[in-house]
Amino acid sequence: MAKRFVGSSFLTTFALVFLAIAALFAADTYLARMESSESAIEATRLFNEGQAMVARGDNLNAIERIRDALSIQRTNRYYQQSLAEAQLAAGRTADAEVTLRGLLESDATDGQANLIMGRVLAKEGRFPEAISYFHRAIYGQWGQDVPRNRLRARFELIDLLAQRDSKEDLLAELLPVQDQVPRDLKTRTRMGRLFLRAGSPARAIDIFRGIVKEAPFDADGYAGLGEAEFTEGNYPAATLAFESALRLAPADDSVRKKLDLCHELLALDPTLRGLDPAERLNRSRKLIELAGEELSKCVAAGSLNQKAGRVTESNVDLAEEIWQARAKECKSQPAADDPLALVMARLAR
Amino acid sequence: MAKTFQSWTHGLRTSLESLRRSENQLSLVLSLVIGALVGLVVVAFILLTGRLAAHMYPAGGSGWRRVLVPVLGSLSTGYLLWRYFPSARGSGIPQTKFALFIDDGRIQFRTVFGKFFCCSASLASGIALGREGPSVQVGAGLASVVGRNLGLDAKQVKALVPAGCAAALAAAFNTPIAAVLFSLEEIMGDLHAAVLGSVVLSAATSWMVLHLVLGDDPLFHVAGYQLVKPAEFGVYAVLGVVGGLGSVSFVKLLLGLRAWFMRLPKSSVWLQPVAGGLTVGIMGYFVPEVMGVGYNYVEKVLNGDIVLKLVVLLAVLKIVATAVCYASGNAGGIFGPSLFIGAMMGAAVGGVAHSLFPQSTAGPGAYALVGMGTAFAGVVRTPLTSVIMIFEITRDYTIIVPLMISNLIAFFISQRLQPEPIYEALAQQEGVHLPNVHSASQTDRIQVRQAMRSGPVVLSPDLLVGTALPMTKGTLDAWPVVGEEGLLGMIRNRDLENASSSGGGDKRLADLFDSPRGHSNAEELPHVHLDHSLGLALQRMGTSDLNVLPVVSRANVRQLLGIVVLDDILKAYGVGKHE
Repeated sequence: MAKRFVGSSFLTTFALVFLAIAALFAADTYLARMESSESAIEATRLFNEGQAMVARGDNLNAIERIRDALSIQRTNRYYQQSLAEAQLAAGRTADAEVTLRGLLESDATDGQANLIMGRVLAKEGRFPEAISYFHRAIYGQWGQDVPRNRLRARFELIDLLAQRDSKEDLLAELLPVQDQVPRDLKTRTRMGRLFLRAGSPARAIDIFRGIVKEAPFDADGYAGLGEAEFTEGNYPAATLAFESALRLAPADDSVRKKLDLCHELLALDPTLRGLDPAERLNRSRKLIELAGEELSKCVAAGSLNQKAGRVTESNVDLAEEIWQARAKECKSQPAADDPLALVMARLAR
Repeated sequence: MAKTFQSWTHGLRTSLESLRRSENQLSLVLSLVIGALVGLVVVAFILLTGRLAAHMYPAGGSGWRRVLVPVLGSLSTGYLLWRYFPSARGSGIPQTKFALFIDDGRIQFRTVFGKFFCCSASLASGIALGREGPSVQVGAGLASVVGRNLGLDAKQVKALVPAGCAAALAAAFNTPIAAVLFSLEEIMGDLHAAVLGSVVLSAATSWMVLHLVLGDDPLFHVAGYQLVKPAEFGVYAVLGVVGGLGSVSFVKLLLGLRAWFMRLPKSSVWLQPVAGGLTVGIMGYFVPEVMGVGYNYVEKVLNGDIVLKLVVLLAVLKIVATAVCYASGNAGGIFGPSLFIGAMMGAAVGGVAHSLFPQSTAGPGAYALVGMGTAFAGVVRTPLTSVIMIFEITRDYTIIVPLMISNLIAFFISQRLQPEPIYEALAQQEGVHLPNVHSASQTDRIQVRQAMRSGPVVLSPDLLVGTALPMTKGTLDAWPVVGEEGLLGMIRNRDLENASSSGGGDKRLADLFDSPRGHSNAEELPHVHLDHSLGLALQRMGTSDLNVLPVVSRANVRQLLGIVVLDDILKAYGVGKHE
């Protein structure tokens, strides 16, 4: 094989090849850098166009633009997340899920990707999976402003649980954050209402009392306090709170309705402190009367016949007890032809 | 200082001198050097094409630019190809095979230069052809140029050409394993080629260079797909049928148009590429996705971002555009367009299937992915390469089984409806008959068993030379000597005559062998087996200077099954003497 070799030609060729390799490497590196910088500019332009379209609600075209940007800078996670958000906004949840799965395959701890995945799955009605992704977002990695992002993710989960009326889960999510939330009135009011929704009115009362103590002119605080007291069964306190709220915001019809309800309720309640016995008796009578009216509505509607029979008996027993109490307490006897006295006598027999 | 430099250069010279004297070391070093050189050239080709395209089609450019630029691009490159680089037209793969099998691996540097710049300009202008075929020719050409300048002989240069091809494809398509397979399966036509080692080294080096310069970024970013339900295999089979028929349509249209263009006057050759430029320009005015290689759009489709009507339209338009661009003589390959067409056909089939059975089928992206491999298997006819290529693109094993099914169906349909593979057919249109794997296997298919004479006359080792000599008068050069232990060897007529004339007529035949047990290896005892090709039998006859060989069992080399004689071999090939 070596017989045809010409030594100098061999060496020269090798030298030229190595020179060519070095020159090509330099040229390639230069071209690659130039392409990289030009591509980055083009990708940013396309991405910004896409974001502007998202802001306008033109999500389908935004998806196209962001995809174009991504085809230039494929590994840009921010673009991928934005693409998934645009797909979600356009209702293309399956596409968004595929985009996010790719992202999460490369980094399963990405907080933002997990958060968007949680939203996507919640929109698809896959709540257990969605909750799981929200939790991954809460405990995942965030590039910057970690506490704020984690709190934001937790509040998205809290809102989802509140919508689904999952009281226990909601309370479990609220308890860890009650000391982390900002101390501004809006957030504390939100927390108070969420505790109320989670079936923990006592905690809500504490929060709202704190609010109205610090901000005595905050109508929302009083309204929230009223609702919490109302839920806890503290109607007089609720009434006072609603009255305060209404004084501060007289146009608030919802508070007015709740206050009216409190008034009606208090007017009926025979167990309130400070009532004289006659008033208590009147109220108890009124209660029976109203209950009876309600019952007769049911009976008239032809339903609950058996239950109606039982309630009638207990009513009759109650009337007899009252009648006997009257006989002990009242000195005057009823007239002999008094229909009530006659009926009660017959019942007693 | 000067002394140190002198000793350093002396050491370098000595190392290179010893390198050139050692064939194995030289092959190893050249594989690495060619891998690096070709990888860098192909990366430059990709980057240059991309930069040119970015300047030819700036963002927000007018629609008319999409008509004018391809026309001007095809006109200018068409003229350059006709005037200066006639060997750089077309894909590059048939030209590489021509160089390898017919021209002792010779590809001129001028062709490499022309291919690089003309293809770059042509593809950047939007011509609907691919960059992989041209890269293969550039890679093979560089290997050839380096090999010849190093003073290697033709056999060594030929051995370097596949290494250059594999290096080019590994860098152009970012699939080193598929590049190795393609070089062996398509270029060499032999998966067991002796150049395997240098091809692998070269492809791996080139791939590393690609990653060093452009980073670890696959050609397509594809979401993970998998088989949703076993019934989905049926849909993949349908895709195989569609892919096969689509591939045949593409190949037949391309060959038909090429034949038509070749019938036009020779004086119009420089102008013919404009037909391709104009066609793609008019299509691109309305549907820009049809222009260029189109990998950006393929990636979108692979990720399930499809509009059914558009992908069907694109599949049809790309078939026509690529066929016209290639047939009219533009520089560029059909490798990339095949993948584009396959992705569109796959997305169309997948889109329909997914809309009909959303719960039982994967998204259209999965079908687009399989469709790519299917069309490649149908057009280029390298089913193994196409499977590995998709595997390398996706790095996902789960899609491989549907891909294999779909590929094989497309391959068989294509083979049935278009028997001649595209690269061989294109070469034939140029008047060149390239060997391929099928023709090679056809030759090898005639085996020794078809020409063997059973129950031949055998001689006993105890027979005396004087007795045996009259028995061996005839047409055979030698006779099998068989004793109790089986075949001892072949005794030549001239050995008997020599023994007799030197007074050894009363010697036993066994005494003429060096060993009393006779010969047992192939060097001492030339032989063939039943399943050997007649070609090998001829070769061994030539080596041993005999017109007869014993046919022995593979299980026991001393078990004589028969003999094979030169006249019978010639008869089997149809050139023997007719009695």
